[in-house]
Amino acid sequence: MALVTVALGRLSQAFLLLLAMSLIGFIGIHSVGNPVFNVVNIETATPEDIRLATIALGLDQPIWRQYLVFIGNVVAGNFGTSYIYHQPAFTLMISKLPATLELACVAMLVAAPLGTALGLIAGRRPGTLFDRAVLKASVSALSIPSFWLAMMLILVGAILTGWFPSGGRGATAAFAGQEWSLITRSGAWHLALPALTLAIPNIALIARLSRSGTIEVENLDFTRFCRAKGLSPRRILLRHTLPNISMPIVTIIGLQFGAMLAFAVVVESIFSWPGVGKLLIDSIQLLDRPVVMATLTFIAVAFVVLNALVDLFHAVLDPRVRLSSQR
Amino acid sequence: MKLGPSFRLLLSTLMISIGLSGASSMQAQAQEPKGLRIATSYKLMTLDPHYANLNENTSLLSHIYERLVYQDERLELKPGLAVSWRALSDTQWEFKLRDNVRFHDGSPFTANDVIYTIERIRDVLKTPSGGFKSYVSGIKSVTAPDPLTIVVETNGKVPTLPLSFSSLFVMRRPSQGFQTTEQLNADVPPLGTGPYRFESWSSGENLKLSRNDHYWGPKPAWADVTFRVIENPSARVAALSTGEVDVADAIPARDVAGLKQRGARIASIGAARINFVQFDVARDTLPGVTATSGEAIANPFKNPLVRRALSHGLDRGILVDKILAGYGTAASQVFPAGLPGTSENLQPREPDYEEAKALLAKAGFPDGFNLTLAGPAGRYPGDAESLQAIAQSWARIGVIAQPAAAPFSVFNTKRAAGEYAVWYGGTSGEAVDIILHTLLASPDLARGTGALNFGKYRNEAFDKKLAEAEGIAVGSERNAGLAEATELVMADQPIIPLYHFHHIVGFGPRVGSYVMHPRGWTTAMQTLTATEN
Repeated sequence: MALVTVALGRLSQAFLLLLAMSLIGFIGIHSVGNPVFNVVNIETATPEDIRLATIALGLDQPIWRQYLVFIGNVVAGNFGTSYIYHQPAFTLMISKLPATLELACVAMLVAAPLGTALGLIAGRRPGTLFDRAVLKASVSALSIPSFWLAMMLILVGAILTGWFPSGGRGATAAFAGQEWSLITRSGAWHLALPALTLAIPNIALIARLSRSGTIEVENLDFTRFCRAKGLSPRRILLRHTLPNISMPIVTIIGLQFGAMLAFAVVVESIFSWPGVGKLLIDSIQLLDRPVVMATLTFIAVAFVVLNALVDLFHAVLDPRVRLSSQR
Repeated sequence: MKLGPSFRLLLSTLMISIGLSGASSMQAQAQEPKGLRIATSYKLMTLDPHYANLNENTSLLSHIYERLVYQDERLELKPGLAVSWRALSDTQWEFKLRDNVRFHDGSPFTANDVIYTIERIRDVLKTPSGGFKSYVSGIKSVTAPDPLTIVVETNGKVPTLPLSFSSLFVMRRPSQGFQTTEQLNADVPPLGTGPYRFESWSSGENLKLSRNDHYWGPKPAWADVTFRVIENPSARVAALSTGEVDVADAIPARDVAGLKQRGARIASIGAARINFVQFDVARDTLPGVTATSGEAIANPFKNPLVRRALSHGLDRGILVDKILAGYGTAASQVFPAGLPGTSENLQPREPDYEEAKALLAKAGFPDGFNLTLAGPAGRYPGDAESLQAIAQSWARIGVIAQPAAAPFSVFNTKRAAGEYAVWYGGTSGEAVDIILHTLLASPDLARGTGALNFGKYRNEAFDKKLAEAEGIAVGSERNAGLAEATELVMADQPIIPLYHFHHIVGFGPRVGSYVMHPRGWTTAMQTLTATEN
């Protein structure tokens, strides 16, 4: 029963969030400018062309009516047709999703284990050379702007050495009805640099969290008891410390994963990676409102779902959460 | 996404320094050279050739579809799917069609397909872009006396009908009904007569084509072609530098030196287009225009002396040499001199600050005045930087200009709302008369003139002269008439022509030569293989 209440509360929150987001997004994109000037060729269009286009796109209606029409369409499962590409906005967004998804997944699959491991090892013996190196490196990795990091990786990895391509997605192959680059050689090669760009700051973030957690846990009574009981340091680290520091790490992985899905804009732009982030920024620039709204809605849903997953994981990982919800 | 100028500067500086350090150049070339790979800034929006009249679409779709008439590199008309054309009377044109042309599915090309194309644009399509409708709006009826002849009847005189047909891609008539844009984007592969067949398309990513071995014309050099959409100029430059692509279009002028050092070659041509400063000459008072004291003043741009003074007080040399790094031509009219319809008498002038000051004094502004100079940022080569340079030039004659650059969509919205008094703009067209018609002719909804005349400039003598020239059939007489009309209107300085920027394309070692087109199209047909040259 309690679970149902929690779930219902959660759902209504998510619903309100989506509504607020759609309103803000709608008004925001409306106030930037008039999309008609991007739809018609402004260098040749006659005032009559502009008038007809305005009517064709429904932009002659007052903004509140446009919003109501939009909400009505969304409820009916339709985000409208892209002004620029003349394709269904939601389909267009979905077609860009595999690119972003595999980029974010690869980046996180690199960042999460590597960051956790570095933090564990560094935090176990604070003050050693390794610890100080991890700390220093993580500070710089976090303070480097991602566009600069991306450029440096292109410079070293593509232009100077020629090992990796400088951009694009490479060859893709169909799997489960979508095109993926991870399963082709050329595609994986193209994926390397952008994934690394996304992974590096996350490695640093996770390493710092895991390091400070390790230091804290290693000084707690139960680790001392473990040590006194004669457990090997490795066993203590993996079986006792790691589960205890995993809560913030799981949280940050969830949040960062959402952020990568939504806002890998800079990296996707520099590497010409045709993902959702690039679609969003292109569409904002072209004032392609249906696509912007479809993408924003997807992002909001993704964050809500990821947060729910993170909470679920907490319950799995931490017995205290499980106990408190049973009470 | 547009990245800041600082980013581009940094990347280009880096690339130049790598070039200087002598690092291996043009490496990482594909081991197995197969097709042609082109990095393009043009993002194909749709597979419907009649959806929007933009270079983005026409550049790429011209591989698949063909036109009845072509414009060559001198903008002269050349036979395409039509082998010849002649005017039967003032309102009738006859086009003889090319024999033995087949669509990609093997079906023969006939007059029926041309009729379908015209009807589709004129009567069926309701695209929000609607850019092609004006080319066929003057057509009353089209008939086919035999399968390889069409007779076009027009409402009134349309001496430029062949020129209009140089913009229309011919589609095949389906067995029934008309194809919609949605159908073309989703279900039906595009079918044309062009030198390349459609293979696959992913919006915003790539377009893949393969050679049409049954093409009627000269066979294309490359068996297959991949276009990769790379909007970021630095990324295009990087892709060409690393040999990932063979051709990259719209290269920023500042990256040319670095690319040459890395072994790439460059082709460029003055664009058949104009960038200019336009004045609002209609309203009595203007936003942002004040006396030096800050008080509101009456619209100074109504006075031709002020417009001429601002033109004299402008250094086009700085724009062309510094901002465009030499890849631009100072402008005095709407097209680069030498193209049909341009005047040899109009030459870009050196700045004359003394004369400009004298003209200002004569117009009643001995101390100058203040204005806000608006313009788009990142739309045309050198746009936002030009605002700064123009403001500096004008400061020497006492006109204090406040540059105000905005993203293109914001700029357009504000200009349409009348928030600007004087602004930077740009336009292009198939021919001189089209630009004169839309940019400088008096705004007239019924006649469709002056669509870009946002300054509401009116000059009856010019309108008359232009209409006369437009009534003459395409040829030297018409060109002379257009040149005269241009001279007449430029004397009044309703706009200040700034420059014709150059289209710049870079190409790698696998490409032998690249022929630029002043309209700025990027096609595989413009390239030859290295061995062929």
